[in-house]
Amino acid sequence: MPKHYRPAGKKKEGNAAKYVTRSQAVKGLQVTLPLFRKMCIWKGIFPRDPKKKIKGNHQTYYHTKDISFLHHDPLVDIHRDIRAQDKKIKKAYSKKNKPRAVRLEEHKPTYNLDRLIIERYPRFIDALGDLDDCLTMVHLFAALPTLQNEKVEVKHIHSCRRLSHEWQAYISRTHKLRKTFISVKGIYYQADVDGQKITWIAPHSIQQVLTEDVDFNVMLTFLEYYETLLAFVNFKLYHSINVKYPPMLDPRLEALAADLYALSRYIASRSKEQDNHELASQVDESQLTLAQLQHQLAPSEPGALMHLIEEAETVDEADEETKECRSLFKDTKFFLGREVPREPLLFVITAFGGTISWEGDGAPFEESDPSITHQIVDRPTQNHMFLSRAYIQPQWVFDSVNARIILPTEDYVVGRVPPPHLSPFVDNEAEGYIPDYAQKIKQLQDAARIMPVPEVGNEHQDNTQNIVLDGVADRIEANKAAEMKKKMSAGQKQFHDELKMEVEGVSPATGTIKNVKVTTDPDESDKEQISEHPDMSEMTMSRRKRGLYESIRINKERKKAKVDVIESRKRNIKESQK
Amino acid sequence: MGKNRAKKVKRAWRNISTKEFDDYNEKATRDANSGGSLASAPSDSLFVVDKSTDVPVRRKIEKKREKVLRFESVLQRNPFVKAVPSSILKKLKKKDKTVDLAQDASKDDDKKGPESGKFDIWDDQGKVNIKGKKKANPSLIPAVEVEPPGCSFNPENESHKDSLALAVAEEMKKIYKKELEPEPIPLTVPGEPVTEDDRYFLEVDHEDDDDVDEMDEENQTEDQINEDENRKSKEKRITTVVKNKRIRRKEQQKAEAEAKKIKDLSKEIDSIPDILQEIAKEDEEKKNRHLRRMVAKEERLKSGPPRLGKRKFEPAPSQVLLTEEITGSLRKLKACCTLARDRFKSLEKRGILVPSAKRSRLV
Repeated sequence: MPKHYRPAGKKKEGNAAKYVTRSQAVKGLQVTLPLFRKMCIWKGIFPRDPKKKIKGNHQTYYHTKDISFLHHDPLVDIHRDIRAQDKKIKKAYSKKNKPRAVRLEEHKPTYNLDRLIIERYPRFIDALGDLDDCLTMVHLFAALPTLQNEKVEVKHIHSCRRLSHEWQAYISRTHKLRKTFISVKGIYYQADVDGQKITWIAPHSIQQVLTEDVDFNVMLTFLEYYETLLAFVNFKLYHSINVKYPPMLDPRLEALAADLYALSRYIASRSKEQDNHELASQVDESQLTLAQLQHQLAPSEPGALMHLIEEAETVDEADEETKECRSLFKDTKFFLGREVPREPLLFVITAFGGTISWEGDGAPFEESDPSITHQIVDRPTQNHMFLSRAYIQPQWVFDSVNARIILPTEDYVVGRVPPPHLSPFVDNEAEGYIPDYAQKIKQLQDAARIMPVPEVGNEHQDNTQNIVLDGVADRIEANKAAEMKKKMSAGQKQFHDELKMEVEGVSPATGTIKNVKVTTDPDESDKEQISEHPDMSEMTMSRRKRGLYESIRINKERKKAKVDVIESRKRNIKESQK
Repeated sequence: MGKNRAKKVKRAWRNISTKEFDDYNEKATRDANSGGSLASAPSDSLFVVDKSTDVPVRRKIEKKREKVLRFESVLQRNPFVKAVPSSILKKLKKKDKTVDLAQDASKDDDKKGPESGKFDIWDDQGKVNIKGKKKANPSLIPAVEVEPPGCSFNPENESHKDSLALAVAEEMKKIYKKELEPEPIPLTVPGEPVTEDDRYFLEVDHEDDDDVDEMDEENQTEDQINEDENRKSKEKRITTVVKNKRIRRKEQQKAEAEAKKIKDLSKEIDSIPDILQEIAKEDEEKKNRHLRRMVAKEERLKSGPPRLGKRKFEPAPSQVLLTEEITGSLRKLKACCTLARDRFKSLEKRGILVPSAKRSRLV
């Protein structure tokens, strides 16, 4: 239609021109309603909420531009062809012309959603940022039973299982898992891939109940799109660690439902091969550069050279958090009992650098292995107890992972009610209220940090890390004003200061960081002062900022009131107990 | 005999064909007419190879169009003058389109080649990188909302109480709402059906009412007649004295009104600062109202979607363990197993799906 021509009765501007109702859109596109709904989901088009609802409040509105965007998609045409072919097939069957029907069936047009993925996520990082919903859906369908009347086929469930295992294998291999939280609904995981925080829920391994208010047609449409997306993401991720995709698995392990283990073994073997190649080349290169550098630098500056070498080492290594995660369970060996959920634990423990085995065929090592340090069990009586290992409940693993330290196992011994499982997604300092157990964990963390843990390999590097961490710890301590701690750490501090002096001689950069950190504290206190006396600055604020400020203030007050209530309750309880 | 033989010879002579001679004669005469024999002429003179490109016959209009106008020739001669495109935006759009087409073409190639999910879709090499933008999410609500710490399988006492209180409050709200609803119309009404005699009495009552109305109407007409008579008696002739009086009075009133007007005006001028203050006050109020509305709207959008269709979004009940259900053991956990519903509700909550009615599943 040319631009200047507008049919009679059609509006030129305003909400009447910008939005169309769903039935109008379906009519305009000349597609069926189910196809329209499918296309909307695939293309990422959602209903809008116009200011004026011209056709009434009970209608669903879409933006005109969204509809024209749909109109130009080749998928619409393909689906029209498919529909026509379906009609032909039906006709052939009803005419008892089976060979024709079969032939038509073979030549049915097919479609794929690859183009839509690049259209919706032009960059890889966009896709990673939007992976939450995708992962949750795939994990959910991996745990669903097949439903004949809902068209949830075995094929879907198998592909979902495979995709979710591939994803988990990648995360655990690269040690990208950060937080876990077991809730009633399922297990929350949070991973950090390329700076994107990805959160997903995996259901508990029990039979899922399907309530009647879920439209599985819609869910399956979403699933179709998400399967394609996750396959592409997995492909990219696997290739980034030099592993072939799709992976070929050991059929014996697959048959024993130990896909995740099979996958991790596959990845390990593949990347080892690659690593060997790469290491050889890397060593050559680094030696070359070293020789060059030695020529360039004056012989009086060995420190600078050392620093350079260190940098070269850290470049190919992952960031600090990943390192911390990788080495958490490094010296521990786990054995799972029959009654504990195997897959989540396999995933979490390997993600944090532990080795693990379980009861059953195809397991890496036997229960009687003397090097096992922890056995995870969840029933009150054991057949045979080994004295050399700790028998703990599965919650210990999740709590240790969240706290990033190996917690003492006494509280988690079988038969005892373990301490509460706290959510790592809550920022206690912002909330104001710190549960008792969180305080205890904090103390343990501080103790672990202060304890010097010199390692054989790269002692120097670790010490510099300790100093930076110590800076953070210092600040926390100052806030808490824990005098006891200060006394204890005085000696430690002196030791670290000395070390710091040494390091500053080598690399002054870390020293400056420290200085900056110290100066930030007064700034923060200034901010607080401002917030207490806001009248002056409030006058000069813009309207929007003032509103924002007001809402922040109200929020703070609310939180404070909440904390007060909780604390007063606690006090009352304590008094009544006395 | 001799005569016979001669006859025979003559007959034989007659039988010899003269076609050759005839043909020759014919040819000779034709050549003489056309101006030379074709056989002897060289082929170049007979045929011409058409080397010019095939040019269609031009119409008059096209010829006219080809004509270079004076200003064009002037511009053409100047190498520093560049042609200005009519609209830069349009051109850019066109370029984008061509890029898209190229991409589509490459996609088509891919369709035959690698299987879906088995090639690097974000690989920029060899493909035109479209500078597309990621589509914005419809709502501020995250895809996966982390539950409060009270929903843990082994929660801390305080946070569990909080979450439980929230869940209980939700349930109580539902109950109160049901209680406060107007009573439904009962299916059966206690009492006896109205008999025919009673109905007759009821009708009679109704008739009585009609009589009263009639009476009222009669009274009204009487009143109207009286009024008309009064009006007639009042209408009398106006004398000049009265007229003058009236005129004078009118003028006086006019003067008074003017004086009053001036007074009012001066009063209003005096009260300008007050008015200004009032306006400022009103503006402030308006602004505050607007701000409040904006904040409220944003808050609302954070907790749920806008109204997108016939039905309102109803959040799923939160999943908290009861106090007696907390065992601290993962094995004995009485977990909820409705993650499918949770996902579906999340889609509805984020405004991607339109909330729909509950449907009964065919089992």
